[in-house]
Amino acid sequence: MAKTDRQDIPSPIGENSPRIDAREKVTGAAIYADDIQFGNSLLHARIKRSPHPHALIKKIDTTKASALPGVKAVVTGEDFPGYIGLYLRDRYIFCRGRVRYVGDPVAGVAAISEEIAEKALELIEVEYEILEPVLDPEFGASPKAPLLHPDLGQYAVVNFIFPQAGTNISNHFKIRKGDVDSAWEKCAAIIERKYRIPQIQHVPIEPHVATAKVDETGEITLWVSSQSPFAQRNLIAESMGISQSKVRVIAPYVGGGFGSKAGVSMEALVVAIATKVKGHPVKLLLTREEEFYTAFVRQGLVAYFKMGCDENGRLLAMENKFYWDGGAYTEYGVNITRASGYSSSGPYEVPNVRTDSYCVYTNHPVTGPMRGFGMPEMHAGLEQCIDELALKIGMDAVEFRKLNCLKTGSTLVTGSKMHATGLSDCIKKTAEAINWGTKAPPSAPNKRRGKGLAIMWKAPAMPPNAGSSAWVELAEDGTVNVGVGGQELGQGVFTVMAQMAAGALGVPYESVRIATPVDTRYSPYEWQTVASRLTWSMGNAVANAAKDAKRQILDTVAEAWEETPEDLNIVNGVVISYKSEREIPLKNLVVYGLPKPGDQGWRGGPVVGRGKFMPAYVTGLDPETGQGERAVVHYTTGAQAVELEVDLDTGRIEIIKGVSTFDVGKAINPEMVKAQMEGGFVQGMSSALFEILQLKDGFVRNPSFVDYRIATSADTPRELQAYIVEVPQDDGPWGARGIGEHSMVPTIPAIANAIYDAVGVRLEGPPFTAEKVYLAMLDAGIVK
Amino acid sequence: MTMNTHPSLPEFEYVQPATLAEACEFLASHAVEARPFLGGTDVFVRMRDGFLTPQFLVDVKNLKGLNDLHFDPKAGLTLGAAVNMNRVIASPEVKAYYPLLAEACRSVASYPLRTRATIVGNICNASPAGDTIGACLTLDGVLHIHGINGPRQESMASFFLGPGKTTLKLGDVVTAIHFPIPPKGCVGMYLKLGRNQLSDLSIVGVTALGYPDSNCKSGYRFRLALASVAPVPLVPTQAETYLANHSITPESVHEAARLSTDACSPIDDVRGSARYRKQMARNLSAKALAEVWKKLN
Repeated sequence: MAKTDRQDIPSPIGENSPRIDAREKVTGAAIYADDIQFGNSLLHARIKRSPHPHALIKKIDTTKASALPGVKAVVTGEDFPGYIGLYLRDRYIFCRGRVRYVGDPVAGVAAISEEIAEKALELIEVEYEILEPVLDPEFGASPKAPLLHPDLGQYAVVNFIFPQAGTNISNHFKIRKGDVDSAWEKCAAIIERKYRIPQIQHVPIEPHVATAKVDETGEITLWVSSQSPFAQRNLIAESMGISQSKVRVIAPYVGGGFGSKAGVSMEALVVAIATKVKGHPVKLLLTREEEFYTAFVRQGLVAYFKMGCDENGRLLAMENKFYWDGGAYTEYGVNITRASGYSSSGPYEVPNVRTDSYCVYTNHPVTGPMRGFGMPEMHAGLEQCIDELALKIGMDAVEFRKLNCLKTGSTLVTGSKMHATGLSDCIKKTAEAINWGTKAPPSAPNKRRGKGLAIMWKAPAMPPNAGSSAWVELAEDGTVNVGVGGQELGQGVFTVMAQMAAGALGVPYESVRIATPVDTRYSPYEWQTVASRLTWSMGNAVANAAKDAKRQILDTVAEAWEETPEDLNIVNGVVISYKSEREIPLKNLVVYGLPKPGDQGWRGGPVVGRGKFMPAYVTGLDPETGQGERAVVHYTTGAQAVELEVDLDTGRIEIIKGVSTFDVGKAINPEMVKAQMEGGFVQGMSSALFEILQLKDGFVRNPSFVDYRIATSADTPRELQAYIVEVPQDDGPWGARGIGEHSMVPTIPAIANAIYDAVGVRLEGPPFTAEKVYLAMLDAGIVK
Repeated sequence: MTMNTHPSLPEFEYVQPATLAEACEFLASHAVEARPFLGGTDVFVRMRDGFLTPQFLVDVKNLKGLNDLHFDPKAGLTLGAAVNMNRVIASPEVKAYYPLLAEACRSVASYPLRTRATIVGNICNASPAGDTIGACLTLDGVLHIHGINGPRQESMASFFLGPGKTTLKLGDVVTAIHFPIPPKGCVGMYLKLGRNQLSDLSIVGVTALGYPDSNCKSGYRFRLALASVAPVPLVPTQAETYLANHSITPESVHEAARLSTDACSPIDDVRGSARYRKQMARNLSAKALAEVWKKLN
C-alpha cells in the first residue's frame, strides 16, 4: 500500500455503518429522561401561568397554596431576580412585574403528588392589570405599539446583536451592499411580493422533561431531555449567580428535539424550584398542551421581497424587509434575525442588496430555534419570487437559477467569497431526477399536475467561537470509548462519531462505543447540538482526539521497535509496520504499555487522546452594512423538487414525488445522510401543507394533535429520492459539512412553485391547506 | 379565550353493572351525574378537556349480548353496542353485505383506537362529524334501546336533535344497532375530507348509497348523508327526492348536489370555514353520487 493511500479515506468513513443506538432503541432498552427513577423523595412541579397575553402583575398571594398539606415549596419571580438568555438576556425565570404571553410562568409549586401540586396552583391568587397586547410584528415594530420590554436598553447582549432601546425591536440586522436605488432602473424585470409565514412547532414525540436536585452545599444536578447540556449549565449558573462548576447536567437520549430543546427554557423553572427544597429531586414534565403554549415555537415572519434582473436574467438587485414575530422573549431568536439577514440574498450572487431584518417582540408564544433557523421561512418567499422573476423575463426557472446561483468564488451578500460548492451540480441532478421540462398527464380528469423546484443555502448560525472537544480512551481489550458532549437526537450523530473515531484511529467500527449519557461532569465540552454543526465541528474534535491517541500508541511502538512512527500504522485494531512488517494488536499495549527488553522497565501506558475544534477565522460584520470578511464558517447548499397533483374538487394536494440533492462535502454515512434528506423533506412538506399554530388574541386555538396536524406516513410521497453531492469542505473532517436542517429549507417554495405550475395560483403563505388552495382557485375563477 | 395547559381526567367513579336492568336503573337514578360509556374514545377525551364531568361512568360494554355480532341472511345484521370497529371491518358478513359500513369504520382515527371505538358510541356521541353515522343512516339502521320501561327500537332518521343531543332518555342504554338486508344491487361510498390522510376528523364527509328501485323514475334510488355541515348529521331529503323524480344525468347529479348544499348550515371552526364546507358539500356530494352511479351501471 502506498503511503498516500493511507492518508486517504479510511474505513468506515463513507460506509453505511449500522446505527450504534439501534438495538437499544428498538428493544426499548434506551433510557430517556422520563425513564429515570428517583424514589419516593421525588417532588412534582407544576407551573402557574399567565392567562393574559400582556398584563402587569399587581399582586401574587401564595399563602393559601403554601399552607396546603403536601406542598413543599411555592416560588415566584420575587425569589429569582436574575435574567436568563442565550444571546440577549431578556427574561426572568419566573415573571417579575409583567406577563408577556399566555402561559408565561408566574409561580411554581413543588408537592408530594401531581394532584396536590395542581390544587396548589388553584390556590395561588394573582392580580393582573391587563394591558394592550401586540399581536403583529409589523405593528409591533412601529412607534404606535405598546412597549413590551421597557428595559431592553439595559439587557446584557452579545456584540453581534443590536437591540433598539425604546422600541420592540430586539435586533435589527442590516445589509447595505452596492447601490440598490440606482440598480432598479437597470432592471428589465422586477418582482415585489409579500409573504406571511405562520408560527409552527417542533412537536417532538417526547415532551420537555427535567428533574432537578439541589444538595445541601447548593450543587445542582439536572437530568433533562436536552440538546444543550453545557449551555444549560452555563446559562443557569449565570442566571442564579453561581459557579458553572456547581451545575451538573445529565442528558440521556433525546426523543426528538428539532431545536426545541436547545438553549434553556423550562429547565430553569424546575432548577429554581429545587433550590427551595434541597435534597429533593423535583420533576417537571410538560403536557402536550403546555408544549404548544409554552415551549419554543418557530418564529412567525412577515417578509417583503423586491428583486430585479437584467434582460439576460442576471440578478441585479434585491431589497428585503423581514419582520420576525419573536414572541414574548427573543433571547435565542434574535440570532435567527441575524442569520436570515446575512443569508438574505438566498444562494445567489447579487451585486446590490439592501436588507432590514427586524426581530420584534409580540405577545405571542416564545420563539426559538427550529430546524432551519429562519431559512425555511425566508426561502419560502424568496424562492417563489425567483420563479416569478424568471417567468417575467421569459427564462426557465432552472436555467435562471443555474445562471445566478453561487459558484465557488462568488461574492456573497456579506462581501466575502463563497468557498468550494457543488450547488450547480445539486440543481442539475435535481432537475434531471424530476424530469424537469416535461409534464406528465394527471392521474384523473379532476386533477392538475405540476412541478416545482427550489434551492437553498444555510450556514451554522452560532457565535464565532462555538467550540467542541472530545476524548478517545482505550480499554484493556483494545475497544475504544469516545467522550463527546454533543447529543444524540435521533439524527445519528453518535454513529457518525463512532465511524470517525474508528476511521481516524484504525479500529473496526464495532470496537467503538460512545460514553453516554452526556454528563457535564465527565463529558468534554460541546457548545450545543444545534446548527447542523456536530458532524463538522464535533467530528473534527473526535478525529483530532483519535489522531492524538493514535500518535501516543505509535510513539510507544516506534520506540519499542526502534522504528519511526511514520512507518507504522494502525489497521483493523493492529499496529503494523510497513517497514519491518511486524505487528501487534492494540489490546497488548494500550493500557499496560510495553515492556522494555531484559526486564528493564516499561514504556507507554494508558492511552487517552484529546481533541478540540473551534473555528478561529470568523470575523464580525459591520453593523451598518452587514459587510465583513467571513461571517460564517461555511454554507451547505442544495436543491429540492416536487411533482404534485392538485385535486380540483377539494383543493387537496398530493405530493407524488420528491427529490433532494445536497452538497454535504463528504457523506460519512450515506444512508443516514439520505435519511436526513427524506426526513427533512417530510417535515418541510408537513409545514408546507398542514402545520400552523392558530393564534387568536394571543391564545393558541389548536394546542393538541387533534387540530395541530402533522404529516403521517400516509401523507408521504410515494417516491422520495435523495442524491448526495460531495465537494469537500476545507476544514471539515474528511471534507464533511452538515445536512440535518438543510433538508427542510427549500420544501415550502418547491411545493408552492409546483402548485403554481399546476393551477396558476400563489398563496400569501403556508400551510397550503386544501381549503386555502381551493378557495384561491375559486376566487381566481379556476374552479366554479 | 382561556388556556388549559394541564388538562387532566377529573375524578369519577367507575360503575360496572351486572345486568342491563341494573345499568338502566342506576343511570335513571343518577340523572345528571352518570353517563354510560363503551370504548370511551370520545368520553375520556372530552372529560380530560373539561367538557364532561360525570361523577359516575357506567361501563356497559360487558353486559350480556352487547358484544354480539349477528348476521341472518333474512333479518340482516345486528351489531351489539360494544362491538368495536375493527371487528366490524374484519367481519366477512359485513364485507359481503355492508361494505359501506366497513369503509366508514376504516376512516375513523387509527387502528389502535378502532379496537376500542364502536359504531354505537359514535352514534350516541351525536357529533355532526361522526364518520360512521352516514352509513348507519343510509343503511336504515335501527337502534335497540333498553330503558327503564324495557326495550324499544328507534330509527336513526329521527335520533339526532343537535350536537351531542339525541332522543335518548334518562336511563336509556343503546344495546345494539340493527341493519336490514340492504336493497339488492346497492352500492355505497363514503368520501371523507380531512386535513391530512390519516386519523383526522372530517371537515366534510359525504355518504352516498344507490340501488335499483322500480318506483323511481330513473330506476334507481339514492340516499345521502352529510357530516360536519349542520348541527346534526344531515340527510338532504330534497336532494334524494329530486333524484328519485329525475333521470340520472350529470346535470341532475349536479342539481342534487346543489340541493344537498342548500340544506347545509355549516359553521366556521378551527378545522374549516363555512364557505369551504358549503363548497365541499356540493363537490363531494356530486362526486359520491357520480361514483355510485358509475358503479351501479
